[in-house]
Amino acid sequence: MGGAIPVGRPPTGRRVSSLNDALLAAHQAKDSETLVRLYRAAGQDALSKNEVQGCFYLTHAYVFALEAGLPEASELHATLKSLGRES
Amino acid sequence: MTIQTSDLSAVMQPVATAKGLPNAHYVDPHAFDEERKSVLFANWSGVGFAKDVPNEGDAKPVNFLGVPLLILRDHDGAVRVYQNTCRHRGMILIDKPGNIRGTIRCPYHSWCYSLDGRLRSTPHVGGPGQNIHPEIKRNELGLIEIRSYVWLDVVYVNISGQAADFNVVHAELVDRWAEFDKPLFHSGADSSFTLDVNCNWKLAVENYCESYHLPWVHPGLNSYSRLEDHYNIQENGRYSGQGTLVYRQLKGDDGIVFPDFSNLTDTWDTGAEYITVFPNVLLGVHRDHTFAIVLEPKEQGKTQEHVEIYYASEHSLEEKFADIRAKNSTQWKEVFKEDIFVVEGMQKGRNGPFFDGGKFSPAMDGPTHVFHEWVAQSLSAGRQLAAE
Repeated sequence: MGGAIPVGRPPTGRRVSSLNDALLAAHQAKDSETLVRLYRAAGQDALSKNEVQGCFYLTHAYVFALEAGLPEASELHATLKSLGRES
Repeated sequence: MTIQTSDLSAVMQPVATAKGLPNAHYVDPHAFDEERKSVLFANWSGVGFAKDVPNEGDAKPVNFLGVPLLILRDHDGAVRVYQNTCRHRGMILIDKPGNIRGTIRCPYHSWCYSLDGRLRSTPHVGGPGQNIHPEIKRNELGLIEIRSYVWLDVVYVNISGQAADFNVVHAELVDRWAEFDKPLFHSGADSSFTLDVNCNWKLAVENYCESYHLPWVHPGLNSYSRLEDHYNIQENGRYSGQGTLVYRQLKGDDGIVFPDFSNLTDTWDTGAEYITVFPNVLLGVHRDHTFAIVLEPKEQGKTQEHVEIYYASEHSLEEKFADIRAKNSTQWKEVFKEDIFVVEGMQKGRNGPFFDGGKFSPAMDGPTHVFHEWVAQSLSAGRQLAAE
């Protein structure tokens, strides 16, 4: 429970809806590879417009990559670290 | 509130004049709590089996007397035990057995831990998308590792962290059975079973340690394994049990027998031993197989016995041994089940207010007395610590 996380203004319209649906489906299926791909794409997409929002999504991509032992974890870590958001 | 502690002085007398542990240590929840801390947490207790985490990343949660533990195999192939609790909000990290491909992710706020216990990620800990914070020092927030040791596939833990090393505490026993300290082979479900018993955990130990009951409770053994063929094993302050001089290998219908451990001395041609690794692990060794029983104390009058049978050779896992493996498991299960009525009967008997702990036979009950005395020493040490 709790309020929504203020990650900046989200993308709007059909694109968000389809991204949300895809993310929910991947969460439901515990499909780590897809979660990493979707969050990474969302993060990269948002990064130039809203760093907080971009890093929010990239963090999720990183966490799921770490959990699943996926190679993308290194690159995501490097990106977040370069932005001062990981150690 | 002051809890009345039991008088242990009679337990620590020589066997000829000693009494057994007082009733409270079987029926009183306060005494159970005392043993939890002073006996089971202060020493090296068995909590599981390494064969349950065979591969890198395999993890199995275990609840030992209310303490959530996580047994896992790390990247180096070593078995480790952690407190199964996130350092953030105390969430249980892993709730069912599985394989961790990368890191352990807490399901609550997704703090992630490596198999070596390091805290790897703290997402949004400094705000959205900000995963670091000056006050979150990851190198101080790794998983709490519990001291553990694997011997003959049993995973032991010392929860207090204060006991001497396992291989120091049990040096003599490890040396006694050095010939069996070799790879053990487990065939899976056909060599694994659990018994739920309505008795205090110690009664299972006491019954296991002595051979006195064998002719009465296991009459099937009389034909070849008579009482006089057994001997007491009683090493004060260390371990106890019993041995037999007439172990007879199980034979299949076609005369097949299990392959032996390599390079065993002649002693084991017809010898077998059954020893309790104090406090709660019952082990048996034979020329061709071993078994381990981890006693899981549930409450003062309930115990779960986790039984695993291991073979000396990988060949024993082959299909041609399937029938004799099943026969071996059935035979042991029958023996252990024959013991249930006595341990449950002794549990009921300890509600008799005039039972005084019991009178030992100096000739036959030595192993049980060694165990009682060891428990009493652990309890006394705990009381002394509490008083300091």
